Amino acid sequence: MKVLDVQSISVKYGDIQALWDISFSVAKGQLVALIGANGAGKTTTLKALCGLIPVAGGEIGYNGTVTSGLPVHKVVDLGITLVPEGRQLFPKMSVEDNLLVGAYLKRTHSKRSQTLKKIYSIFPRLEERRTQSAETLSGGEQQMVAIGRALMQDPQVIMFDEPSLGLSPIMVQEVFKVIQDLHREGLTIFLVEQNVHQTLKVADYCYVMENGRIVGQGTGKELEADQSIREAYLGF
Amino acid sequence: MELLPQALADGVMLGGIYITIAIAFSLTYGVMHVIDFAVGEWIMFGAFTGYYLNKWTGLDPFLFLPVIFVAYFGVGYLIQPVIHRVLSGTKGNPFLMGLVFTFGLAIMFKGLALTVFGYYSNSIPSMFSEGAFNFDVFGAAVTIPTVRLVGLAYALAITAVLHYMLKKTNFGLGVRALAQHKDAAGLMGVNSRRTGSYVYGIYVGISAMTGVLLGCILSIGAQMGNEYTIFAFFVVVLAGMGYLAGVPWAALLLGLVQSIFMIYFNPSHTLLAVFVILYLILLISPRGLFGKGV
Repeated sequence: MKVLDVQSISVKYGDIQALWDISFSVAKGQLVALIGANGAGKTTTLKALCGLIPVAGGEIGYNGTVTSGLPVHKVVDLGITLVPEGRQLFPKMSVEDNLLVGAYLKRTHSKRSQTLKKIYSIFPRLEERRTQSAETLSGGEQQMVAIGRALMQDPQVIMFDEPSLGLSPIMVQEVFKVIQDLHREGLTIFLVEQNVHQTLKVADYCYVMENGRIVGQGTGKELEADQSIREAYLGF
Repeated sequence: MELLPQALADGVMLGGIYITIAIAFSLTYGVMHVIDFAVGEWIMFGAFTGYYLNKWTGLDPFLFLPVIFVAYFGVGYLIQPVIHRVLSGTKGNPFLMGLVFTFGLAIMFKGLALTVFGYYSNSIPSMFSEGAFNFDVFGAAVTIPTVRLVGLAYALAITAVLHYMLKKTNFGLGVRALAQHKDAAGLMGVNSRRTGSYVYGIYVGISAMTGVLLGCILSIGAQMGNEYTIFAFFVVVLAGMGYLAGVPWAALLLGLVQSIFMIYFNPSHTLLAVFVILYLILLISPRGLFGKGV
Protein backbone atom coordinates (compact mmCIF):
# COMPACT_ATOMS: atom_id res chain seq x y z
CA MET A 1 0.00 0.00 0.00
CA LYS A 2 1.40 3.38 -1.01
CA VAL A 3 1.65 5.88 1.82
CA LEU A 4 3.40 8.53 -0.21
CA ASP A 5 2.60 8.84 -3.86
CA VAL A 6 4.39 11.56 -5.78
CA GLN A 7 3.25 12.10 -9.32
CA SER A 8 5.40 14.14 -11.70
CA ILE A 9 5.90 17.18 -9.48
CA SER A 10 7.99 20.13 -10.58
CA VAL A 11 9.24 23.01 -8.47
CA LYS A 12 10.40 26.45 -9.52
CA TYR A 13 12.37 29.08 -7.64
CA GLY A 14 11.32 32.19 -9.52
CA ASP A 15 12.27 31.53 -13.13
CA ILE A 16 14.64 28.72 -12.28
CA GLN A 17 13.23 25.23 -12.38
CA ALA A 18 14.68 23.05 -9.65
CA LEU A 19 12.66 19.84 -10.04
CA TRP A 20 11.46 18.26 -13.25
CA ASP A 21 8.74 15.69 -13.37
CA ILE A 22 9.62 13.82 -10.18
CA SER A 23 7.63 10.66 -9.52
CA PHE A 24 8.13 8.04 -6.86
CA SER A 25 6.24 6.23 -4.17
CA VAL A 26 6.84 4.90 -0.69
CA ALA A 27 4.92 1.92 0.66
CA LYS A 28 3.82 1.59 4.28
CA GLY A 29 6.61 0.51 6.58
CA GLN A 30 9.29 0.84 3.93
CA LEU A 31 12.59 2.64 4.25
CA VAL A 32 13.09 4.41 0.95
CA ALA A 33 16.17 6.46 0.20
CA LEU A 34 16.90 9.27 -2.20
CA ILE A 35 20.52 9.71 -3.16
CA GLY A 36 22.29 12.16 -5.42
CA ALA A 37 25.04 14.76 -5.57
CA ASN A 38 24.91 18.21 -3.99
CA GLY A 39 22.43 20.45 -5.73
CA ALA A 40 20.56 17.57 -7.35
CA GLY A 41 17.31 18.73 -5.74
CA LYS A 42 16.99 16.33 -2.83
CA THR A 43 16.30 18.98 -0.18
CA THR A 44 13.93 20.75 -2.54
CA THR A 45 12.02 17.49 -2.97
CA LEU A 46 11.67 17.10 0.80
CA LYS A 47 10.58 20.70 1.24
CA ALA A 48 7.95 20.25 -1.44
CA LEU A 49 6.73 17.04 0.18
CA CYS A 50 6.03 18.73 3.50
CA GLY A 51 4.60 21.90 2.04
CA LEU A 52 7.45 24.28 2.87
CA ILE A 53 7.63 25.25 -0.79
CA PRO A 54 4.80 25.10 -3.34
CA VAL A 55 4.86 22.76 -6.31
CA ALA A 56 4.49 24.23 -9.79
CA GLY A 57 2.92 21.08 -11.20
CA GLY A 58 2.06 17.49 -10.39
CA GLU A 59 0.49 16.03 -7.30
CA ILE A 60 1.60 14.71 -3.94
CA GLY A 61 -0.64 12.08 -2.41
CA TYR A 62 -0.50 10.91 1.17
CA ASN A 63 -2.76 8.02 2.24
CA GLY A 64 -5.13 8.95 -0.54
CA THR A 65 -5.32 12.69 0.27
CA VAL A 66 -3.74 15.27 -1.99
CA THR A 67 -1.31 17.30 0.12
CA SER A 68 0.27 19.48 -2.55
CA GLY A 69 -1.09 22.98 -2.02
CA LEU A 70 -1.55 22.57 1.73
CA PRO A 71 0.56 24.76 4.05
CA VAL A 72 3.24 22.99 6.07
CA HIS A 73 1.38 23.03 9.40
CA LYS A 74 -1.56 21.19 7.81
CA VAL A 75 0.69 18.63 6.12
CA VAL A 76 2.48 17.71 9.35
CA ASP A 77 -0.87 17.39 11.11
CA LEU A 78 -1.65 14.56 8.68
CA GLY A 79 1.32 12.61 10.00
CA ILE A 80 4.29 13.40 7.74
CA THR A 81 7.26 15.09 9.30
CA LEU A 82 10.75 16.13 8.35
CA VAL A 83 14.00 16.13 10.29
CA PRO A 84 15.50 19.03 8.38
CA GLU A 85 19.01 19.51 7.09
CA GLY A 86 21.24 21.18 9.65
CA ARG A 87 18.81 20.23 12.44
CA GLN A 88 17.07 23.63 12.57
CA LEU A 89 16.52 23.53 16.30
CA PHE A 90 15.21 26.50 18.27
CA PRO A 91 18.62 27.61 19.52
CA LYS A 92 17.64 29.70 22.56
CA MET A 93 15.09 27.24 23.85
CA SER A 94 15.90 24.44 26.28
CA VAL A 95 16.20 20.86 25.06
CA GLU A 96 12.91 20.01 26.73
CA ASP A 97 11.09 22.98 25.19
CA ASN A 98 12.46 22.00 21.79
CA LEU A 99 10.96 18.55 22.27
CA LEU A 100 7.68 19.93 23.60
CA VAL A 101 7.19 22.06 20.50
CA GLY A 102 7.02 18.70 18.75
CA ALA A 103 3.75 18.12 20.62
CA TYR A 104 2.32 21.51 19.62
CA LEU A 105 -0.40 19.94 17.53
CA LYS A 106 -3.76 19.22 19.18
CA ARG A 107 -3.57 15.62 18.06
CA THR A 108 -0.42 15.00 20.13
CA HIS A 109 -0.77 17.56 22.88
CA SER A 110 -2.80 15.46 25.33
CA LYS A 111 -0.28 12.63 25.52
CA ARG A 112 2.83 14.76 25.41
CA SER A 113 4.23 13.77 28.80
CA GLN A 114 4.12 10.08 27.87
CA THR A 115 5.72 10.73 24.49
CA LEU A 116 8.40 12.81 26.16
CA LYS A 117 9.20 9.91 28.49
CA LYS A 118 9.51 7.61 25.50
CA ILE A 119 11.88 10.02 23.75
CA TYR A 120 14.03 10.24 26.89
CA SER A 121 14.20 6.45 27.02
CA ILE A 122 15.44 6.40 23.43
CA PHE A 123 17.92 9.25 24.05
CA PRO A 124 18.86 9.22 27.77
CA ARG A 125 21.48 11.88 27.08
CA LEU A 126 18.74 14.38 26.29
CA GLU A 127 17.15 13.90 29.70
CA GLU A 128 20.47 14.75 31.33
CA ARG A 129 20.60 17.96 29.29
CA ARG A 130 16.95 18.87 29.34
CA THR A 131 17.40 22.36 30.84
CA GLN A 132 20.36 23.30 28.63
CA SER A 133 19.68 25.55 25.66
CA ALA A 134 19.82 23.72 22.36
CA GLU A 135 22.65 25.81 20.94
CA THR A 136 25.04 24.54 23.62
CA LEU A 137 24.73 20.89 22.53
CA SER A 138 27.17 19.00 20.35
CA GLY A 139 26.22 18.18 16.76
CA GLY A 140 25.26 14.63 17.61
CA GLU A 141 23.12 15.68 20.56
CA GLN A 142 21.44 18.31 18.40
CA GLN A 143 20.59 15.61 15.88
CA MET A 144 19.02 13.57 18.69
CA VAL A 145 16.87 16.58 19.63
CA ALA A 146 15.86 17.03 16.00
CA ILE A 147 14.85 13.38 15.72
CA GLY A 148 13.17 13.41 19.13
CA ARG A 149 11.22 16.53 18.23
CA ALA A 150 9.96 14.86 15.06
CA LEU A 151 8.97 11.73 16.99
CA MET A 152 7.00 13.84 19.45
CA GLN A 153 4.65 14.51 16.56
CA ASP A 154 3.70 10.85 16.45
CA PRO A 155 4.29 10.69 12.69
CA GLN A 156 3.50 7.87 10.30
CA VAL A 157 6.07 9.00 7.79
CA ILE A 158 9.33 10.52 8.90
CA MET A 159 11.68 12.10 6.40
CA PHE A 160 15.35 12.73 7.10
CA ASP A 161 17.46 15.28 5.28
CA GLU A 162 21.15 14.39 5.56
CA PRO A 163 20.95 13.26 9.19
CA SER A 164 24.61 12.22 9.27
CA LEU A 165 25.97 15.48 7.89
CA GLY A 166 28.76 16.95 10.00
CA LEU A 167 28.71 14.21 12.63
CA SER A 168 31.59 12.14 13.98
CA PRO A 169 31.84 8.55 12.64
CA ILE A 170 30.51 7.15 15.92
CA MET A 171 27.51 9.48 15.83
CA VAL A 172 26.88 8.55 12.19
CA GLN A 173 26.58 4.90 13.25
CA GLU A 174 24.33 5.94 16.13
CA VAL A 175 22.01 7.90 13.82
CA PHE A 176 21.79 5.03 11.33
CA LYS A 177 21.02 2.67 14.19
CA VAL A 178 18.16 4.91 15.38
CA ILE A 179 16.77 5.09 11.84
CA GLN A 180 16.89 1.32 11.49
CA ASP A 181 15.21 0.88 14.88
CA LEU A 182 12.39 3.19 13.84
CA HIS A 183 12.07 1.26 10.61
CA ARG A 184 11.83 -1.98 12.54
CA GLU A 185 9.09 -0.51 14.72
CA GLY A 186 7.05 -0.03 11.58
CA LEU A 187 7.52 3.66 10.80
CA THR A 188 7.66 4.60 7.15
CA ILE A 189 10.93 6.36 6.42
CA PHE A 190 12.13 8.50 3.57
CA LEU A 191 15.84 9.10 3.83
CA VAL A 192 18.00 11.58 1.94
CA GLU A 193 21.69 10.95 2.44
CA GLN A 194 25.15 11.66 1.11
CA ASN A 195 26.50 8.62 2.87
CA VAL A 196 25.54 6.43 -0.08
CA HIS A 197 27.31 3.25 0.90
CA GLN A 198 25.57 2.92 4.22
CA THR A 199 22.26 4.15 2.85
CA LEU A 200 22.15 1.49 0.14
CA LYS A 201 22.68 -1.11 2.85
CA VAL A 202 19.75 -0.09 5.05
CA ALA A 203 17.21 1.01 2.43
CA ASP A 204 14.48 -1.23 1.01
CA TYR A 205 14.40 0.78 -2.17
CA CYS A 206 16.37 3.71 -3.60
CA TYR A 207 15.89 6.52 -6.05
CA VAL A 208 18.80 8.34 -7.67
CA MET A 209 18.52 12.01 -8.46
CA GLU A 210 20.54 14.18 -10.81
CA ASN A 211 19.97 17.79 -11.88
CA GLY A 212 16.41 17.86 -10.60
CA ARG A 213 15.34 14.60 -12.18
CA ILE A 214 15.03 10.99 -11.05
CA VAL A 215 17.58 9.12 -13.13
CA GLY A 216 17.61 5.68 -11.57
CA GLN A 217 15.93 3.41 -9.06
CA GLY A 218 16.19 -0.05 -7.60
CA THR A 219 16.92 -1.96 -4.44
CA GLY A 220 20.18 -1.31 -2.66
CA LYS A 221 21.74 -4.43 -4.13
CA GLU A 222 20.71 -3.59 -7.67
CA LEU A 223 22.14 -0.09 -7.43
CA GLU A 224 25.35 -1.33 -5.89
CA ALA A 225 25.75 -3.64 -8.85
CA ASP A 226 25.05 -0.86 -11.34
CA GLN A 227 28.33 0.28 -12.90
CA SER A 228 27.35 3.93 -13.46
CA ILE A 229 26.01 4.35 -9.92
CA ARG A 230 29.17 2.81 -8.50
CA GLU A 231 31.33 5.23 -10.42
CA ALA A 232 29.26 8.28 -9.61
CA TYR A 233 28.51 7.72 -5.93
CA LEU A 234 30.59 4.94 -4.49
CA GLY A 235 33.89 5.76 -6.11
CA PHE A 236 34.86 2.28 -7.25
CA MET B 1 20.46 65.00 47.37
CA GLU B 2 17.03 65.82 48.72
CA LEU B 3 15.59 65.43 45.27
CA LEU B 4 17.18 62.09 44.50
CA PRO B 5 14.49 59.81 46.04
CA GLN B 6 11.81 61.72 44.16
CA ALA B 7 13.83 61.51 40.93
CA LEU B 8 14.27 57.76 41.34
CA ALA B 9 10.58 57.23 42.11
CA ASP B 10 9.58 59.31 39.07
CA GLY B 11 12.02 57.37 36.95
CA VAL B 12 10.60 54.01 37.99
CA MET B 13 7.02 55.20 37.32
CA LEU B 14 8.02 56.51 33.91
CA GLY B 15 9.96 53.32 33.18
CA GLY B 16 6.87 51.29 33.98
CA ILE B 17 4.98 53.08 31.22
CA TYR B 18 7.82 52.49 28.79
CA ILE B 19 7.70 48.77 29.57
CA THR B 20 4.13 48.54 28.33
CA ILE B 21 4.92 50.58 25.24
CA ALA B 22 7.94 48.50 24.34
CA ILE B 23 7.28 44.93 25.45
CA ALA B 24 4.60 44.00 22.94
CA PHE B 25 6.43 46.03 20.29
CA SER B 26 9.51 43.87 20.90
CA LEU B 27 7.45 40.67 20.77
CA THR B 28 5.99 41.72 17.42
CA TYR B 29 9.45 42.44 16.08
CA GLY B 30 10.63 39.04 17.27
CA VAL B 31 7.83 37.19 15.51
CA MET B 32 7.17 39.27 12.40
CA HIS B 33 10.60 40.88 11.95
CA VAL B 34 9.00 44.19 11.23
CA ILE B 35 9.59 47.42 13.10
CA ASP B 36 6.11 48.86 13.43
CA PHE B 37 6.47 52.63 13.17
CA ALA B 38 2.76 52.96 13.86
CA VAL B 39 3.16 51.95 17.53
CA GLY B 40 2.63 55.54 18.70
CA GLU B 41 -0.49 55.84 16.57
CA TRP B 42 -2.02 52.71 18.10
CA ILE B 43 -1.38 54.32 21.48
CA MET B 44 -2.98 57.55 20.25
CA PHE B 45 -6.07 55.76 18.88
CA GLY B 46 -6.45 53.88 22.14
CA ALA B 47 -6.18 57.13 24.09
CA PHE B 48 -8.87 58.83 22.02
CA THR B 49 -11.14 55.81 22.25
CA GLY B 50 -10.82 55.95 26.03
CA TYR B 51 -11.37 59.69 26.01
CA TYR B 52 -14.62 59.52 24.04
CA LEU B 53 -15.94 56.45 25.84
CA ASN B 54 -15.40 58.32 29.10
CA LYS B 55 -17.10 61.43 27.75
CA TRP B 56 -20.14 59.54 26.51
CA THR B 57 -20.67 57.15 29.37
CA GLY B 58 -19.12 59.06 32.27
CA LEU B 59 -17.57 55.84 33.52
CA ASP B 60 -13.99 55.58 34.69
CA PRO B 61 -11.54 55.02 31.80
CA PHE B 62 -9.89 52.15 33.65
CA LEU B 63 -13.13 50.18 33.34
CA PHE B 64 -12.83 50.35 29.55
CA LEU B 65 -9.40 48.74 29.36
CA PRO B 66 -10.69 45.22 28.60
CA VAL B 67 -13.13 46.52 25.99
CA ILE B 68 -10.42 48.55 24.32
CA PHE B 69 -8.06 45.58 24.34
CA VAL B 70 -10.60 43.34 22.66
CA ALA B 71 -11.56 45.94 20.06
CA TYR B 72 -7.98 46.77 19.12
CA PHE B 73 -6.95 43.13 19.22
CA GLY B 74 -9.52 42.67 16.48
CA VAL B 75 -8.16 45.62 14.50
CA GLY B 76 -4.61 44.29 14.72
CA TYR B 77 -5.70 40.76 13.88
CA LEU B 78 -7.38 42.01 10.71
CA ILE B 79 -4.56 44.32 9.60
CA GLN B 80 -1.70 41.86 10.16
CA PRO B 81 -2.35 39.79 7.00
CA VAL B 82 -1.78 42.93 4.93
CA ILE B 83 1.58 43.55 6.59
CA HIS B 84 2.39 39.86 6.25
CA ARG B 85 1.69 40.11 2.54
CA VAL B 86 4.05 43.04 2.17
CA LEU B 87 6.75 41.22 4.14
CA SER B 88 6.48 37.95 2.26
CA GLY B 89 6.79 39.53 -1.17
CA THR B 90 9.47 38.15 -3.42
CA LYS B 91 10.31 41.27 -5.40
CA GLY B 92 12.61 43.99 -4.11
CA ASN B 93 13.54 44.10 -0.46
CA PRO B 94 10.58 42.89 1.64
CA PHE B 95 12.11 44.06 4.93
CA LEU B 96 12.46 47.61 3.63
CA MET B 97 8.99 47.47 2.12
CA GLY B 98 7.66 46.45 5.55
CA LEU B 99 9.35 49.43 7.18
CA VAL B 100 8.00 51.82 4.58
CA PHE B 101 4.56 50.28 4.88
CA THR B 102 4.28 50.73 8.65
CA PHE B 103 5.76 54.21 8.30
CA GLY B 104 3.06 54.98 5.78
CA LEU B 105 0.41 53.59 8.12
CA ALA B 106 1.72 55.86 10.88
CA ILE B 107 1.51 58.97 8.69
CA MET B 108 -1.94 58.03 7.46
CA PHE B 109 -3.23 57.39 10.98
CA LYS B 110 -1.79 60.66 12.22
CA GLY B 111 -3.36 62.59 9.34
CA LEU B 112 -6.67 60.89 9.99
CA ALA B 113 -6.51 61.75 13.69
CA LEU B 114 -5.64 65.40 13.02
CA THR B 115 -8.63 65.66 10.70
CA VAL B 116 -11.05 63.94 13.03
CA PHE B 117 -9.83 65.03 16.48
CA GLY B 118 -8.11 68.32 15.64
CA TYR B 119 -5.06 69.84 17.29
CA TYR B 120 -6.51 70.03 20.80
CA SER B 121 -4.76 68.48 23.69
CA ASN B 122 -6.87 66.88 26.41
CA SER B 123 -6.62 64.55 29.31
CA ILE B 124 -8.86 61.75 30.50
CA PRO B 125 -10.27 62.20 34.01
CA SER B 126 -10.13 59.15 36.22
CA MET B 127 -10.94 58.29 39.80
CA PHE B 128 -7.20 57.88 40.32
CA SER B 129 -6.33 61.34 38.93
CA GLU B 130 -6.60 63.23 42.20
CA GLY B 131 -4.94 61.34 44.99
CA ALA B 132 -1.28 60.92 45.79
CA PHE B 133 0.87 59.01 48.23
CA ASN B 134 3.42 60.84 50.31
CA PHE B 135 6.42 59.06 51.69
CA ASP B 136 9.32 60.15 53.77
CA VAL B 137 12.59 58.63 52.62
CA PHE B 138 15.59 59.54 54.83
CA GLY B 139 14.12 62.95 55.48
CA ALA B 140 13.32 63.65 51.84
CA ALA B 141 9.68 63.95 50.83
CA VAL B 142 8.55 61.74 47.95
CA THR B 143 5.18 62.22 46.28
CA ILE B 144 3.73 59.57 44.02
CA PRO B 145 0.42 60.36 42.29
CA THR B 146 -2.01 57.44 42.59
CA VAL B 147 -2.55 57.31 38.85
CA ARG B 148 1.18 56.72 38.28
CA LEU B 149 1.20 53.93 40.82
CA VAL B 150 -1.76 52.35 39.04
CA GLY B 151 0.20 52.75 35.80
CA LEU B 152 3.15 50.89 37.28
CA ALA B 153 0.89 48.10 38.53
CA TYR B 154 -0.62 47.85 35.05
CA ALA B 155 2.86 47.59 33.51
CA LEU B 156 3.86 44.82 35.90
CA ALA B 157 0.61 42.97 35.25
CA ILE B 158 1.07 43.13 31.46
CA THR B 159 4.65 41.90 31.81
CA ALA B 160 3.57 39.04 34.06
CA VAL B 161 0.74 37.99 31.75
CA LEU B 162 2.98 38.04 28.67
CA HIS B 163 5.65 36.12 30.54
CA TYR B 164 3.12 33.49 31.60
CA MET B 165 1.71 33.24 28.09
CA LEU B 166 5.13 32.77 26.50
CA LYS B 167 6.59 30.36 29.04
CA LYS B 168 3.65 28.29 30.21
CA THR B 169 1.13 27.97 27.40
CA ASN B 170 1.24 25.92 24.24
CA PHE B 171 0.44 29.03 22.22
CA GLY B 172 3.44 30.78 23.77
CA LEU B 173 5.66 27.82 22.95
CA GLY B 174 4.58 28.18 19.33
CA VAL B 175 5.25 31.92 19.39
CA ARG B 176 8.75 31.39 20.73
CA ALA B 177 9.42 28.67 18.17
CA LEU B 178 8.18 30.92 15.39
CA ALA B 179 10.43 33.76 16.53
CA GLN B 180 13.49 31.51 16.47
CA HIS B 181 12.99 29.49 13.31
CA LYS B 182 10.02 30.02 11.04
CA ASP B 183 10.39 26.91 8.86
CA ALA B 184 11.09 24.59 11.77
CA ALA B 185 8.09 26.04 13.64
CA GLY B 186 5.96 25.26 10.59
CA LEU B 187 7.25 21.69 10.62
CA MET B 188 6.12 21.43 14.23
CA GLY B 189 2.62 22.42 13.17
CA VAL B 190 2.69 26.11 14.11
CA ASN B 191 0.43 28.08 11.80
CA SER B 192 2.73 31.02 11.18
CA ARG B 193 0.08 33.28 9.65
CA ARG B 194 -2.50 32.87 12.36
CA THR B 195 0.05 33.02 15.16
CA GLY B 196 1.46 36.20 13.62
CA SER B 197 -2.01 37.70 13.50
CA TYR B 198 -2.63 36.85 17.15
CA VAL B 199 0.68 38.37 18.20
CA TYR B 200 0.04 41.54 16.22
CA GLY B 201 -3.47 41.72 17.68
CA ILE B 202 -2.12 41.37 21.22
CA TYR B 203 0.43 44.07 20.53
CA VAL B 204 -2.12 46.52 19.10
CA GLY B 205 -4.49 45.76 21.99
CA ILE B 206 -1.83 46.38 24.64
CA SER B 207 -0.67 49.57 22.90
CA ALA B 208 -4.23 50.91 22.80
CA MET B 209 -4.74 50.15 26.51
CA THR B 210 -1.47 51.91 27.29
CA GLY B 211 -2.83 54.90 25.38
CA VAL B 212 -5.74 55.20 27.80
CA LEU B 213 -3.35 55.06 30.70
CA LEU B 214 -1.14 57.74 29.19
CA GLY B 215 -4.23 59.85 28.62
CA CYS B 216 -4.96 59.67 32.35
CA ILE B 217 -1.39 60.29 33.46
CA LEU B 218 -0.25 62.85 30.88
CA SER B 219 -2.34 64.13 28.01
CA ILE B 220 -3.72 63.08 24.67
CA GLY B 221 -3.49 64.71 21.27
CA ALA B 222 -3.43 63.64 17.65
CA GLN B 223 0.34 64.00 17.52
CA MET B 224 1.16 62.27 20.81
CA GLY B 225 2.26 59.15 18.95
CA ASN B 226 5.56 60.54 17.65
CA GLU B 227 7.15 60.66 21.04
CA TYR B 228 6.07 57.16 22.01
CA THR B 229 7.25 55.62 18.77
CA ILE B 230 10.68 57.06 19.52
CA PHE B 231 10.64 55.75 23.09
CA ALA B 232 9.47 52.30 22.03
CA PHE B 233 12.23 52.18 19.48
CA PHE B 234 14.78 53.38 22.00
CA VAL B 235 13.82 50.77 24.59
CA VAL B 236 13.77 47.91 22.10
CA VAL B 237 17.15 48.81 20.62
CA LEU B 238 18.65 49.27 24.06
CA ALA B 239 17.24 45.92 25.22
CA GLY B 240 18.53 44.22 22.07
CA MET B 241 16.25 43.83 19.06
CA GLY B 242 13.87 40.97 19.75
CA TYR B 243 15.30 40.20 23.21
CA LEU B 244 12.15 40.38 25.30
CA ALA B 245 13.68 39.75 28.72
CA GLY B 246 15.80 42.88 28.33
CA VAL B 247 12.83 45.19 27.77
CA PRO B 248 11.82 45.87 31.41
CA TRP B 249 15.40 46.78 32.36
CA ALA B 250 15.94 48.99 29.34
CA ALA B 251 12.60 50.71 29.98
CA LEU B 252 13.48 51.37 33.62
CA LEU B 253 16.87 52.71 32.60
CA LEU B 254 15.25 55.07 30.13
CA GLY B 255 12.79 56.27 32.78
CA LEU B 256 15.54 56.86 35.33
CA VAL B 257 17.83 58.65 32.89
CA GLN B 258 14.98 60.90 31.87
CA SER B 259 13.82 61.79 35.37
CA ILE B 260 17.32 62.36 36.73
CA PHE B 261 18.25 64.50 33.78
CA MET B 262 15.05 66.49 34.13
CA ILE B 263 15.68 67.27 37.78
CA TYR B 264 19.40 67.84 37.80
CA PHE B 265 20.10 69.19 34.33
CA ASN B 266 18.16 70.86 31.58
CA PRO B 267 14.66 69.42 30.99
CA SER B 268 14.52 70.65 27.40
CA HIS B 269 17.60 68.62 26.47
CA THR B 270 16.39 65.32 27.94
CA LEU B 271 15.76 63.65 24.62
CA LEU B 272 19.22 64.64 23.43
CA ALA B 273 20.78 63.12 26.55
CA VAL B 274 18.76 59.95 26.08
CA PHE B 275 20.05 59.52 22.55
CA VAL B 276 23.64 60.26 23.46
CA ILE B 277 23.38 57.48 26.04
CA LEU B 278 21.81 55.09 23.54
CA TYR B 279 24.60 55.92 21.10
CA LEU B 280 27.31 55.28 23.66
CA ILE B 281 25.79 51.99 24.79
CA LEU B 282 25.42 50.76 21.22
CA LEU B 283 29.00 51.79 20.52
CA ILE B 284 30.20 49.53 23.32
CA SER B 285 27.62 46.77 22.89
CA PRO B 286 26.03 46.88 19.43
CA ARG B 287 23.50 44.16 20.27
CA GLY B 288 21.96 46.03 23.17
CA LEU B 289 22.53 46.21 26.92
CA PHE B 290 22.72 42.45 27.29
CA GLY B 291 24.38 41.62 23.98
CA LYS B 292 21.52 39.32 23.10
CA GLY B 293 19.73 41.25 20.39
CA VAL B 294 19.79 40.55 16.70
